[in-house]
Amino acid sequence: MAQPPPVSDRLVRTLQWLWLGWAFLLVGGVIIWIVGLILASWRLDDVVQASVGISLVAIPIFIVFMGVVFYVFWGVALHGRKREN
Amino acid sequence: MAPERDDHEDILLAPIERTGPGFYWAVAFLSLLILWGAAAYAVQFTEGLGVTGLHQPVAWGFYVTNFVFFIGISHAGTLISAILRLSKAEWRRPITRMAEVITCMVIFIGAGQILVDLGRPDRMMNVLRHGRYQSPLLWDATSISAYLTASLTYLYLPMIPDIAILRDRLGKRKLLYSVLALGWTGTAYQQKVLNRAIAIMAVLVIPIAISVHSVVSFVFSMTLQPSWHSTIFGPYFVVGAIFSGIAGLIVTMIIFRKAYGLDYYLKPIHFRYLGQLLLIMSLLWFYFTFAEYLTGYYGAEPEEMKVFWSKFTGPFWPFFWAMVLCNFVVPLSCLTRLQRHTVGKVLIASICIIIGMWLERFIIVVPTLSFPRLPFPQGVYAPTWVEWGETAGSLGLFALFYLLFTKFFPIVSIWEIREGREHSLKEVEQRIASYLPGDAGEKV
Repeated sequence: MAQPPPVSDRLVRTLQWLWLGWAFLLVGGVIIWIVGLILASWRLDDVVQASVGISLVAIPIFIVFMGVVFYVFWGVALHGRKREN
Repeated sequence: MAPERDDHEDILLAPIERTGPGFYWAVAFLSLLILWGAAAYAVQFTEGLGVTGLHQPVAWGFYVTNFVFFIGISHAGTLISAILRLSKAEWRRPITRMAEVITCMVIFIGAGQILVDLGRPDRMMNVLRHGRYQSPLLWDATSISAYLTASLTYLYLPMIPDIAILRDRLGKRKLLYSVLALGWTGTAYQQKVLNRAIAIMAVLVIPIAISVHSVVSFVFSMTLQPSWHSTIFGPYFVVGAIFSGIAGLIVTMIIFRKAYGLDYYLKPIHFRYLGQLLLIMSLLWFYFTFAEYLTGYYGAEPEEMKVFWSKFTGPFWPFFWAMVLCNFVVPLSCLTRLQRHTVGKVLIASICIIIGMWLERFIIVVPTLSFPRLPFPQGVYAPTWVEWGETAGSLGLFALFYLLFTKFFPIVSIWEIREGREHSLKEVEQRIASYLPGDAGEKV
């Protein structure tokens, strides 16, 4: 049976960084959206406390998600491979 | 040292390596359902919501019912998986992946119902641009986003070692698997990092999952509408979500056990444990339902009683009593004795519960709007083919996504089964020794 052509390591690395970038973009986008809502309520003097209160819970959660994803990427893809070498 | 390979692992890789005619038949059937849904949506998009049964005062019907139902089903996965993982329930190993996939797939479908309900999906941009955090609808948007992000992460992390197995063993999709495997080679350090990340996510995901369905209930309970304004709606919805979620998980397990021949991994003992969990949830659901309706009845507030009697003896009685039958009577009779015909009994109970929980959502959404507190005329809601089509299409889309997932990734976690076989026996023995009185626990 014909073997499939080997996958370029460089291409894999690039796509992995893009994969991480996409995850950051997604979570970063949500954080920017929430901050935008706070600013809108501030500008319109529209019960800013509600927006700030909810954001105080929501934003750190999204930051922790980003942290976990980056930790795994760093530990498995970067650091883990270095240690193996 | 490379872990010992189990010959039965080929069963788990077979659906990815080979595709039988059953798969194409299933895809064809599901595509028909999706086409029906797409046609219904196209008509609704061009003609407006007037082609549906939605009108004043009943502005929420099938779509919001489906939204609450699907978000409830999503509790099957991540929440149940996280609880079983944290409580070190060893029997979880062949189940968790299936459960986590349900969450990720169904949450998209659930959130999509709101877009369909809007009639004009472009108005979603108003929520994004001018949303106000005083509105429970925006709490929903935020908590569902958090839950989706958490669920996707929680699904992906435990898949990394399995993706590496696919990268090394399969001759196809090399690039995809190489990228997603993140260079996994199974070193002790990589395993340590992964285990720590999974543990963090498992802890995080439980409060987020509970917050999601609490917030979904707030959409109703924060209003002053009869039968909606209730302090127990949060936990009532969470219990209902876990209840329907487990039922959904069981049905999925049984379908894929049959289709992919997974009897070796999904044994009657798994169904017995899940069946027992289902029985407990059925009793809890009945307790909440009883408390909710008794409180309303005892208060005897006139507007409340109109809705109350509409469910018990009025136009909604068939749905209400069918709900009680499906969510309480049938599960109780099926699940109290599970020694024999375990899988069959659990399947019947689960199918009934899925139907019953959809009816419960319907019974919550529609009757209250049919008897408005404000001086509107009373309304009757009758869904048209458009809503039926959307519902069928949504179910088809969920099933198709799930089916396609099983063609790309193993539906049972290979590395977790290996880990269980290699380490857990000893670990469980040590753990039991640590529970026992005496000095044995000190050494652990």
